Amino acid sequence: MDKKIVVMLLCVISFISFSELALAHGEKAQQAGLRMRTMNWWDLEIYPKKVAINEVVTVKGKFSPSIWWPRHMSNPEDGMAYLNVGVPGPVFVRIDSRVNGVPMIRSAQFKKGETYDFEMKLKARTPGRYHVHPVISVEGTGPIIGPAYWVEVTGDPATFENKITTLTGEVIDLETHGMPQIIGWHAFWVVIGLLWMGYWLRNYPVLMPRYKEVVRLGSKANDMITFKDMAVGIVFFGGVLMAIAGSYFWTQTQYPITTPLQTGEVEVLPLPSQGDTISLKLHKARYRIPGRSFKIEMDVTNNGDSPIRLGEFMTANVRFINKEVLGKIERQDDLDLIALEGLQVEGGPVQPGETRRITLWAEDALWETMRLTSLVYDPDSRFAAMLFFFDDEGKRYHLEVGGQMMPTFS
Amino acid sequence: MSVEYIPKELPEEEHDVNEDRFVASAVKNRTEQLTAYKNIDLATIPLLFLLFGGISVFLFALTVGDWDFWMDWRDRRWWPLVTPFSLILLPAVLGVFMWNKFRLPLGATFAMMSFLAASWVSRYTNFHGFAGFPLNFVSPSTWVGLGILLDCTILVSRSWFITGFVGAFLFGLLTYTINWPIFAPFRIPVDYNDTMVTVADLMGYMYIRTAIPEYVRIIEESTLRTFGEAVTPLTAVFAGFVTILNYYLWVWVGHKVMKSRWMDKLI
Repeated sequence: MDKKIVVMLLCVISFISFSELALAHGEKAQQAGLRMRTMNWWDLEIYPKKVAINEVVTVKGKFSPSIWWPRHMSNPEDGMAYLNVGVPGPVFVRIDSRVNGVPMIRSAQFKKGETYDFEMKLKARTPGRYHVHPVISVEGTGPIIGPAYWVEVTGDPATFENKITTLTGEVIDLETHGMPQIIGWHAFWVVIGLLWMGYWLRNYPVLMPRYKEVVRLGSKANDMITFKDMAVGIVFFGGVLMAIAGSYFWTQTQYPITTPLQTGEVEVLPLPSQGDTISLKLHKARYRIPGRSFKIEMDVTNNGDSPIRLGEFMTANVRFINKEVLGKIERQDDLDLIALEGLQVEGGPVQPGETRRITLWAEDALWETMRLTSLVYDPDSRFAAMLFFFDDEGKRYHLEVGGQMMPTFS
Repeated sequence: MSVEYIPKELPEEEHDVNEDRFVASAVKNRTEQLTAYKNIDLATIPLLFLLFGGISVFLFALTVGDWDFWMDWRDRRWWPLVTPFSLILLPAVLGVFMWNKFRLPLGATFAMMSFLAASWVSRYTNFHGFAGFPLNFVSPSTWVGLGILLDCTILVSRSWFITGFVGAFLFGLLTYTINWPIFAPFRIPVDYNDTMVTVADLMGYMYIRTAIPEYVRIIEESTLRTFGEAVTPLTAVFAGFVTILNYYLWVWVGHKVMKSRWMDKLI
C-alpha cells in the first residue's frame, strides 16, 4: 500500500516536473489549414520589450486576409472584424489602435488579398511577462492570432492610473470612476432589503411556527397577515417607488448630459496595391511528412525591370528564410517562429520579362512543433502562404501562393 | 409574533414520555421545541441564502451572461429586456414557496438579496481579483428594490394574478430606472481619437478582452424606433409585459412543485 502511494507521488511529481508551462494563447490550437489560409501577418514589431507600469508599448505590423480563405468560414470581407490584442486580460490598457491610420475603436471590414498596416499603443498596467499577439477577431469565425513577442512589465501596479477628459470637461480616472455611486446605491438598497427582511424575520423562530400555523389554518392562512403587516407593506411599496423615482431624477440633475452606448463600424481603405510586378502560377505543392518538408513548384513571371529572388516563405506565422538572399537574421526571443535557414530555392533569379519555373523547399522542425503537419488531416488539403521576393536594390514584393497540396508519406 | 404559533399543548416541565410509550419525540417540552425551531431557522435561512445565490448567479450567467457582466453591454434596448425576463424565475418560485408554506412575503426580496451577495462575490473574486478588470466596470446591477415591490404586492393583494400584473410588470418596467444612478456616470460622452464614445464604451475598448471583440456586443440592435427617441420607456414597457408572462409561468411551476409529495416530505 505504501509503495503504491510512493509510486503515485513520484508519477505526479514527474508529470509536473516535465510538463511544459502553458504560457501562450493557443497559437497551435487551430487546424493547420485554417491557420495557413486566414490571416497573413508580417513585419511585426513590438517595442520596447521591457517597460514600467504606465509606460507605453507599441505593437505594429502588416496583415492581409488570405485570398484562399476557407469558404466554410466567415471572412472579414463579408462580415465584421476587429483589431484586438492577445494578452492575458487587461494587463495593458489599449490607448490607441489604428488600421491604415483609421482609429479602430469600432469594427470594420477587410478585403481579402489586400494589405493593411496596423499599430496599437498599449499602456502597461500589471507587472509580469506577457506574450503579446496582434489578433484579428472575425465575426462568425473567432480570433485569428498573429505572431508574438515577449514583453516584460515591471513596477508597482498601485501607481497605475488611467485618466481621461470627458466631453463635459471632467477629468476622470477610469480605474475608480463611478465607484462611490455604485457602492452608495447598492448599500442603500441592501439596507432597505434588510429592513424588509428584518421586519418579517424579527420574531425568530419563524419558519416552523409559521408553517404549522399555515397548515392548521388551511384556506384561512391569510388571517396570519395582520393589519400592521399590511400597513408596513403599503409603506414599503410606496417608499420603494418613491426611492426609485427620486434616485432617477436626482441622477438626472447630477448627470444632465449622457448618451447611449455607441457602436457601429468604420471604413478602412486598404494600402495602395504594389501592382503586378510579379505574378505566379502554382504548378505543384507536395508535403513530405517524414522530412517535414514542403515543396512547391511554380512558374514566376517578373514584370519589373530588375531581377528578383525569393527570400522568404511565410505561412501560419512561421517564417522560412532563404539565407542566401536575406543573410543572417537574429531571433528576437525564444518563441520567435523563424526557421533561419529553412528555405531552399532552386531556379535562380527571375530576370525582367522572364517566366521561370522555381522550386522551393521549406524545411524545419517548426512544421512539427507548430502542429502544421496535421495539414494532411484537413478536409480539403489546401494551403496558402506568403512569398517575399526581393530585387537587386532590396525592394520587397509580397505575393500569396495557395492551392491544392498533396502529401507524400515516405 | 412567530413564537405565538408554537403549540401550547406541550408541558412546560420535563416529563419522561418514554415511560408511557416506546416511540417518543426528541422534543420533550416547550423549551426544547423552541430551541429546535430556532436551530431550524439558523440552519435553513443561511442555507437557502447560499443555495439561491449560487443558483441565481449560475442561471444568470447562462441566460444573461455578458449583458450584465460588463458596463458597456448594459444598453437601453436589450439589457432591460433580457435581464428581468431571466431573473424573474427565482423570485417567482421562491415567492410561491415562502408564501404558500409560511405566509411570508419574502421570496422575491430574499432571492434578490442572495443573488446580489453572490454576484458581488463573483464579480469581486473572478472578474476583479482573478481577471484584473476594474471593479467599476464589472460591478453588479441592483434588483433588491424590485424584489420588495413583488413581495409587497403579494402581501397586499394576496393574489398571484394581481402580483403578476402589478408586481412583475413593475419588476420589468423599473429595471432600467432603478439602475440608472449606477449607470449614469458611465454614459458621459467622451471624444476619443475623433470617435464619440461613452465612458463605458471606452472602458470596454481600453481594458482588453481578447475573446470579446467590439462587434460581439448585442447592444442597440432592434427596430423599436417607432416612438422616435423614446427607446428606453418603450423597452421598459415591453420588458414589463414579457416579465408578467414569465412570472406567471414560474408561479405555475412553483405551485406544481409545492404540491409534490417530496416537497411535503422535505418540510
